[in-house]
Amino acid sequence: MRTRITLLLLALLLIAVPASAQQLFDFLGQTVVPAAAGGMLNMDSLIRDPAPATTPLPLDFANFEYTLVVTNLELISGDGTTASPQNYANGTLTIYEDNSTAADYANPATFSDGEAILIGTITTLNRTMFTLTLGSAAGWVDWVGGTHLDDIAPVDQIGWPFLTGISARSTVIEPGYSEQWDGKVEPEEPIVDTEDMSWGSVKALMR
Amino acid sequence: MMRKSIPFMAMALVIAFAIPAFGQASAIDYFGYAWETGGFPPSDPGDVMIFTGVGDYADPIFGIDFGTEEATFYMYDLVSTGEVPLEGGSVMINYTGGYLEIYRDAAMNADWGIAPPNLTSPSTFMDGTLFFKGSFNSMTLYLNPGGDGVYEGTLDGIGGTMIDDVCTGCVYTWGGNFTPPSGAQIPDGYDIQIDGVFEIEEAVSTEDYSWGSVKALFN
Repeated sequence: MRTRITLLLLALLLIAVPASAQQLFDFLGQTVVPAAAGGMLNMDSLIRDPAPATTPLPLDFANFEYTLVVTNLELISGDGTTASPQNYANGTLTIYEDNSTAADYANPATFSDGEAILIGTITTLNRTMFTLTLGSAAGWVDWVGGTHLDDIAPVDQIGWPFLTGISARSTVIEPGYSEQWDGKVEPEEPIVDTEDMSWGSVKALMR
Repeated sequence: MMRKSIPFMAMALVIAFAIPAFGQASAIDYFGYAWETGGFPPSDPGDVMIFTGVGDYADPIFGIDFGTEEATFYMYDLVSTGEVPLEGGSVMINYTGGYLEIYRDAAMNADWGIAPPNLTSPSTFMDGTLFFKGSFNSMTLYLNPGGDGVYEGTLDGIGGTMIDDVCTGCVYTWGGNFTPPSGAQIPDGYDIQIDGVFEIEEAVSTEDYSWGSVKALFN
């Protein structure tokens, strides 16, 4: 029994992050927006190390590049104004880990190579433009696949907010794209947390 | 003498101030947390917005090494003029005044803490070397009915080492999105999470000219 408790404590130490640390996937990328309902929205972006906050899963930014790619997010309705925000549904969001090819907007395929560590479904997303060049989009992601899906408890795989600011100024848009999206995907609460427990309480868990 | 010196100086200025005229503007990506006196929302006339944040990416032109230093942001003295209703239940809020400071700090000690202002925020976001200080020309925030939204403003650079090293006389843009506590992990006492980009807009656009064309401008 003592060995089991020791192993449990070691495991907790290995996976613990400070309870106060915010967790998010912070991305900055380029998006192609469809012209009409039925068209598909696609985005290529890079994830950055958000220190002193953390990513929801441990990522090795020193040795890998992480990209976040949205594909086939279908425009259902709306014109994008505040009176009629665009409604999108059923897109795929994938986070790739790659140490071989640097992401380059001139070659979009460089964003979707490497290992797909998380794959999610964007269930819904609303896009609103407040001016001709400034807007926001908010949606929800359910994680459904990827090599690290099992690192997230099933109860924590559903309903992650996706939020981004939108800039359509010509100075920030890469050729072939229509908007710059700067946003994040994050769980509403840290998915790996720590709790203060007395030694007696830990032992009680094993009885 | 005049004809030779003026073109030469003009070309030197264009080279000194030029940043890419196409593609992405030079940018620093940042995130952090903000609070407003009186709480947010609503934003009442006279409320003051304060933000502390950290950079997590900077274009190489800025020369920031995130492995050995942090870039911290401190925005303050932005005074709300109140909420203006828009169609669909959104509101627009214009702010007046305000400053943005960016520091480079090898201590890497940024800490939001809780219930700002506190012992670490904003103090750990305004230590180190002042890299940039700007005064806001404009700042507008758009708030969706769900509590999230976007903001955008422009600044004049008035201080800091960046002014001489990167781009003198440039226009600086500050924009991004924000999330309320219902959609983000926000330290207690802060009102919103902010995720945005600080960008340098070109001060002098660049064009390719032959030497003859340049001389012709002064003939």
